[in-house]
Amino acid sequence: MELTLNEKRLLVALGPVGSADAATLADRMGTRREAVVQYANLAGERGLVDVEKHVSRQYTLTEEGQDYAGRGLPERQVLESFGDEIPMRDLQAHPLAKIAIGWMRKKGWVVIRDGVVQKTGDAIPGSDEVAFARAGDAGAIEDGEGVADLLRRGLVQEEEAVTYTVSLTPQGGKLLAEGLDLQEEVGTLTRDQILSGAWRDLPLRRYDVTKLPRRAYPGKTHPYQRLLDEMRRVLLDMGFTEIAGGIVQSSFWNFDALFQPQDHPAREMQDTFFLGERWPLPAGYERVRDMHEHGGETSSIGWGGTWSAEKAEQCVLRTHTTCLSIQHLAEHQKPPVKAFGIGRVYRREATDPTHLAEFEQLEGIVMDEGVNFRNLLGFLKEFYAKMGFEKVRFRPGYFPYTEPSVEPEVYVDGLGWVELGGAGIFRQEVTAPLGIEHPVLAWGLGISRVAMLRLGLRDLRHLYRSDVEWIRETPIYGGRR
Amino acid sequence: MAIITLPYRYLERLTGTDRATIIDRIPMIGADIERIEEDHVDVEFFPDRPDLYSPEGVARAMRGFLGIEEGLPVYPVRPSGITFSVDPGLADIRPHLASAVIRNVDLDEEAIESLMGLQEALHWAVGRGRGKVAIGVHDLDAVTPPFRYIASPRDYSFVPLDFDREMTLDEILTDHPKGRDYAHLVERFSRLPLIVDADDQVLSLPPIINGELTRVTTATKNILLDCTGTDKKAVMTATNIICTALAEAGAAIETVTIDGEVMPTLAPTRRVVSVGECASLLGIPLSSADMAELLARMRFGAEPDGDSHVRVLVPCYRADILHDWDIFEDVAIAYGFENFDATLPATSTIAEEHPTTAIAGAVRSVMVGLGYIEMIPFTLTNDRVLYESMQRSPLPGTLRLLHPISEEQTLVRTDLLPLLMEMLQANKHRELPQRLFAVGDVVEDCVTYKKIAAVSIHPGADFSEAYAAADVFCRELSLPYSVTESDDPAFIDGRRGDIIVGERIIGMFGEIHPGTLNAFDLEHPVAAFAFDLRAVPGYPAPRGTPSPDER
Repeated sequence: MELTLNEKRLLVALGPVGSADAATLADRMGTRREAVVQYANLAGERGLVDVEKHVSRQYTLTEEGQDYAGRGLPERQVLESFGDEIPMRDLQAHPLAKIAIGWMRKKGWVVIRDGVVQKTGDAIPGSDEVAFARAGDAGAIEDGEGVADLLRRGLVQEEEAVTYTVSLTPQGGKLLAEGLDLQEEVGTLTRDQILSGAWRDLPLRRYDVTKLPRRAYPGKTHPYQRLLDEMRRVLLDMGFTEIAGGIVQSSFWNFDALFQPQDHPAREMQDTFFLGERWPLPAGYERVRDMHEHGGETSSIGWGGTWSAEKAEQCVLRTHTTCLSIQHLAEHQKPPVKAFGIGRVYRREATDPTHLAEFEQLEGIVMDEGVNFRNLLGFLKEFYAKMGFEKVRFRPGYFPYTEPSVEPEVYVDGLGWVELGGAGIFRQEVTAPLGIEHPVLAWGLGISRVAMLRLGLRDLRHLYRSDVEWIRETPIYGGRR
Repeated sequence: MAIITLPYRYLERLTGTDRATIIDRIPMIGADIERIEEDHVDVEFFPDRPDLYSPEGVARAMRGFLGIEEGLPVYPVRPSGITFSVDPGLADIRPHLASAVIRNVDLDEEAIESLMGLQEALHWAVGRGRGKVAIGVHDLDAVTPPFRYIASPRDYSFVPLDFDREMTLDEILTDHPKGRDYAHLVERFSRLPLIVDADDQVLSLPPIINGELTRVTTATKNILLDCTGTDKKAVMTATNIICTALAEAGAAIETVTIDGEVMPTLAPTRRVVSVGECASLLGIPLSSADMAELLARMRFGAEPDGDSHVRVLVPCYRADILHDWDIFEDVAIAYGFENFDATLPATSTIAEEHPTTAIAGAVRSVMVGLGYIEMIPFTLTNDRVLYESMQRSPLPGTLRLLHPISEEQTLVRTDLLPLLMEMLQANKHRELPQRLFAVGDVVEDCVTYKKIAAVSIHPGADFSEAYAAADVFCRELSLPYSVTESDDPAFIDGRRGDIIVGERIIGMFGEIHPGTLNAFDLEHPVAAFAFDLRAVPGYPAPRGTPSPDER
């Protein structure tokens, strides 16, 4: 049992008396009462002292009470200010008359006849006056006769007083009798102590190692960013080149190049954020036009109707990252191409816990000679497995720019099969106008869905308007949920 | 999305199998089950398959998929002798009309509801909200052929559905609930489309409302179908889908003659597709016989054409077959997605990260080292946050949404600092100090590029803290810089600096102006800095930019 220096000093101070209150001990030890209580509690845990806490009520003078202290209650002061009698009018000139006259009458010290105040000759101090005098002398008094009256008159106030009595236990006494080393303990090591070798003889103060100091918070990346980085890492590991691009896109790249018909509902203003800006069509746009109108030189019949260049020029906030994939393919027609992008996309949706007007999308494409539908499923399986979704299954799906299309589902404990993203092989109507001769496998997924699963979020808005506390408390490395 | 209600009893009768099999297999033809109820299941089908928007259409597909009845469904048609004429004056209004007679229908309330459901789903998926196609069904026996599709003056009147008095076409557009819903499709025309019979009785005011006269009830035995619209192909598709669905339910289809053209033929279209192309796209071994067999299960007519090709008859209701690959997808579905052996291709490729994300990664590691916490704010914001609260005037290159959905999100951010100030406001009740940063895209003059901003709030936050952090940032990102006094009104005069790299101001730092602190309801000083990351060595040059519209 290793005592702190302060505990030892406490035992020494207690030695001659055996028991004392904390305030007395504080005086004796030259420290604060609070410190004594702290040392006593420590020593108490070791069974060296007993600490008894007493809570008592006491009464001290209020501000008004202080005014009267030493001079007496108002009725006493006024009573002594005149002889046997005085006209009421004159008496009222006394500053305390208002309070005092009532009390003098009540206590039977005076009577009032025809506007004259006359002493009755009886002016014995009441219990209130006695208590008041005591309070004035002692600063504080215990509850007793007259105190309730003073409390009602607002001359004293109730206070809770806590005192501690510390007593040496037999065990403490024994230890004290054996003698204690009172050499000063050291907190912080100084440079001198380290260099001089003085540290060898220093009693280093022992600390309570279970007591956590004020918490520190490190700088951190956002939990969602860590998830995005994890996905980037997976795709980089799988040999995919990262692509990025503008938030503002022409309808041509966002829709037309992906064979989305110009009258498609997604192209209406209630679903997409349109902009006043226009973007000139790229060279060779006619091949996209022909594809829409009659299927170009493929086996397609196209959508029919007349394709509008003006409609294709109008800018939008990109509604998917596929517009980046298709531009990347347009610039890289030679196989193999393996690319991915993670970017913010926009939908004209009212914001609520599960819908946002902007969110991240991940997209991957593979273009190579002879790649096929089985390879698409292979990539999907690998990607989801690396993301921690071991069980994956595939259902037919529909996306305007892929054929065949597939909806991957992953198994999540507690939720069952969850649809996670979409995939397919780009339609020839999409690839042929760009001069791409080989199949393009493509898949995408809304990352917020994964974020909700992985970060245990109920409200997607918390990703983008985050509580600092949530970020501070979310571990950087947490394994997988 | 089209959600179709499928009553088990009816579906079981039409399909010839039990409900458990149907519910189990339906997702594998391409559908999402929404709800499984006591007596029915609600299923969402994809927008490219409007032929599945009725229990009859689903049963037809399921019979094939389950091997109960395969190959092309054949729908015999007989002439009804009924004729239509189309007014040339409709050419610029709503030119296309398709029609058919459907006899011996047996309609109970449920069947009527199902027919209305199909009609509404087609209005959505094929009709684009009735603009491209609008469908009307009528009790044929209430009217007298021949029929005329005319461009009528707007003061013509009739009793529309759900009303008991005559209304002029104008009144219908303004007073009838359907008129108000769909007036936008036709109100710009001086004459409106109308279908009338030999006695000038009105069947329909397409695409708005039918006449009460031809209301379809449980007593209706014979139906006249009209599909009008702006796209001939779409009008025919809708007609074919409705006719074949009712034929599946047991009705007899008869043709009408419209200005000499006899329709509907309900005849399939032909395609000859390559077995090799299909096998190579799907990655499975296939013979022409295999492929024909798989296609028959998807209700195509299919016969091997030698070893290398298959002759395919595409049913008239399949609006989604544009390209040979659309047929290949059906081969894959019939083969069963669960039967594909998922395999990675052998090609090896070398990965490369994008330079902008590499830079953003470096930025994060510097900021985390400085003790800052990352935020990922929205890119959509508004003038109040982005400019007014910052006491800054709007940048001319600010990208504004034409049709914002809320007052909170009316433009794309040009800077990150205001959004971090907003974050500090949202986190006011959290322990100080708070040091936050964000790195992300901003848009100016339609060009997307990355910025970074950082804020630090606590009672001791000051100019020195901002400067020291900005200095670390520049040194760690290899940006040799110089500093001049800034005039950015978001900061306190005399406690704000511009960072200059080359000749350009690429960032600023300092103590945030108390007016800005007040605007964000903050109670402590904020030290902040912001940078344009295009200044960082290796940041790629922007792509081509669009031209502002000269309107």
